[in-house]
Amino acid sequence: MRIEKCYFCSANVYPGHGTMFVRNDAKCFRFCSSKCHKNFKMKRNPRKVRWTKAFRRANGKEMVVDSTFEFEKRRNVPVRYDRELVATTLKAMERVAEIKAKREKAFWKNRMSGNAAKNARDAALNIEKHIELVQPRSGTTAAAVPNLEEKEKIREKIKVRAAGRKAMALQQLEGTNKSKTKKESRLIPSGGASMGMNVD
Amino acid sequence: MGRLRRSRTHHARRDVHRLARTRVRVKDLDQIEIDLRPGNRAKLERQEIDEDKPGLGQHYCVECAKYCETDLALRNHTKSKVHKRRLKELRDPAYTLTEAEKAAGLGQDNRQRGVEEVVKRFEGMNNEASSNTQEGQKEATTA
Repeated sequence: MRIEKCYFCSANVYPGHGTMFVRNDAKCFRFCSSKCHKNFKMKRNPRKVRWTKAFRRANGKEMVVDSTFEFEKRRNVPVRYDRELVATTLKAMERVAEIKAKREKAFWKNRMSGNAAKNARDAALNIEKHIELVQPRSGTTAAAVPNLEEKEKIREKIKVRAAGRKAMALQQLEGTNKSKTKKESRLIPSGGASMGMNVD
Repeated sequence: MGRLRRSRTHHARRDVHRLARTRVRVKDLDQIEIDLRPGNRAKLERQEIDEDKPGLGQHYCVECAKYCETDLALRNHTKSKVHKRRLKELRDPAYTLTEAEKAAGLGQDNRQRGVEEVVKRFEGMNNEASSNTQEGQKEATTA
């Protein structure tokens, strides 16, 4: 029994599930769902479709280089059955999956690391740009509408606050940029995470 | 990389399902990639006269896997947008099942297991045999 991979989205295709297309040159294409089959019939390139694994890996959305990928293999040459080997493999599988999950999480964290500061800066910029839309809370009722001068004052206050926040965000960004020399480096797993591992 | 275009792609092509039938299926990019290899290409461009093919099979565009009726039609086709788009698609290596498996974190392993042991055993046997034969040879030389 073999768990195949979907040709289009690389998901698992379990025995008895999905569709198989055999081309007239005897090449087999397995599909996990009719969605993938239809996309294949439309001759779409999986590398260019956002929701496929092929896209995610080609565009640095997921971990590509790691030693945990060295374990799971499609073995076209059968391995002679060995009770001890099976037992150790089962044990190792658990451990490898654990380590892989940990590294994937670290990779994701690393990939998203620049976002908080960037979002803060964008928000501050947005407020600064559309300052006229920001109304002071006290000015909602007609009676409490302050005169023009007061309004201006309040607006000025908000503007100053937004500018301060923007400066802070910029500083933060600079700090993160200093620690990581390049923006691209976020896509590469950090050296410590992908170093040697122990599998007992 | 932008997303695939969703608007202005209709071109009055209504019957999508008829065009997706297996019998009207044309060559895939990975098959065309094989056709593009020099030997195969020359063979496809200089085909024998075949009455069943359009233009007697004399005007074939390898990249688009398409027969033209006349030489002029083929020349016009090579200048066309469709052809140029296909050339662009063929620039990258074609997508294959191995790539799909690789994307899922599944490598390939075709190592012949146990070969080393067999080789070792054979070497051992050969050594024993050679030592035996050496003695025999010595006897033979003395004789």
